[in-house]
Amino acid sequence: MKIIFMPLFQWIVASIFLLTATSSYASEYLSGPADYIYSPRVEEGEREIDTKFGTQKPRSGEDSRQSGASIGFGYGVTSWWFTEIYGKNTWDGNNSQFDAIEWENKFQLTETGKYFADVGFLIELERPQNRNEGYEAKYGFLLQKDWNKWQANLNLLMQGHYTGTENQGTYFGYQGQVKYRLQPELQLGAQLFSWLGQLNNWNTNQQQQTSVGPAIFGKTKLGRKEALVYNVAYLWGTTTASPKNTIRMQVEYEF
Amino acid sequence: MKNTIAYALFCLMIGVATLASANQSEITIKIQKGRFSPSQIEIPSDTKVRLVIQNLDDTPEEFESHDLNREVFIKANSSASFYIGPLSPGRYKFEGEFSPETAQGEVIVK
Repeated sequence: MKIIFMPLFQWIVASIFLLTATSSYASEYLSGPADYIYSPRVEEGEREIDTKFGTQKPRSGEDSRQSGASIGFGYGVTSWWFTEIYGKNTWDGNNSQFDAIEWENKFQLTETGKYFADVGFLIELERPQNRNEGYEAKYGFLLQKDWNKWQANLNLLMQGHYTGTENQGTYFGYQGQVKYRLQPELQLGAQLFSWLGQLNNWNTNQQQQTSVGPAIFGKTKLGRKEALVYNVAYLWGTTTASPKNTIRMQVEYEF
Repeated sequence: MKNTIAYALFCLMIGVATLASANQSEITIKIQKGRFSPSQIEIPSDTKVRLVIQNLDDTPEEFESHDLNREVFIKANSSASFYIGPLSPGRYKFEGEFSPETAQGEVIVK
């Protein structure tokens, strides 16, 4: 029991420190620094403490770095439904503030490996602390394809604020990743996050927000039913509307 | 509006491509007293196979395989299924995460 308890306790302490010391702010960019790539796969009974952290350097040298973090608890309720609730914090170099509560729900729509790609659907609801933003919803299809040691993900997402007075409109974007599953502890690949503009009015190429770069992934077992799963990426903005660079990471404690 | 239609068509295209199913052969593996039976299965290369894992024990188990990129939870006295392949020839190890000392197996692809 002690063996199980200590890593969990240390992980919670480290996560709270991370959340309070270095959190995220994403008002300027649709992809927050702590965003991550969703997988359509769901595992029943899986419990996880999920921490994310990221920091973005705006293209304008006058703007301060925007950083953010989140901590949440997720649970695989069934073999096709995973739900997670988490809190997000933001930090712009001067001020740290609680940003939002988010409720993520992921539905695996196809049996794993049955078709050309696994398909899932995401619905994420956010209650921003700034009530002028109303509520934010993110939703869309999640796709994953394996072939031998390679894995690819492509997610088609929409995001919008509703019932508020700020940041209105529905935006369309996509995110993707490819990775080579070298060994459980170390896998190599790349990630991409892109928002193309409002659903009915896409931006010009330079106004779109796109960041891409290398990423590493891995999983380390801590015990019989415990593991740490991580991914870290360094992303370059490819358009003038994108942050100059983003460093983002996600660490999950599965138990 | 044009973009909305394009998005809908794209989703439809992905759906149709995704639903193009492959071969549907099936192999059942039982978990009993913390062991897989059979612990070795052979499948032809470049073939999709449905694996049904029947857990006959009173405790849950998790089928885990880095080689196959699969993690599937199986409740006590229950079963779960998923597909593997098409795979290149080789040996692909799997284990029961909750009883890794005894629950070991491999898929041999020829």
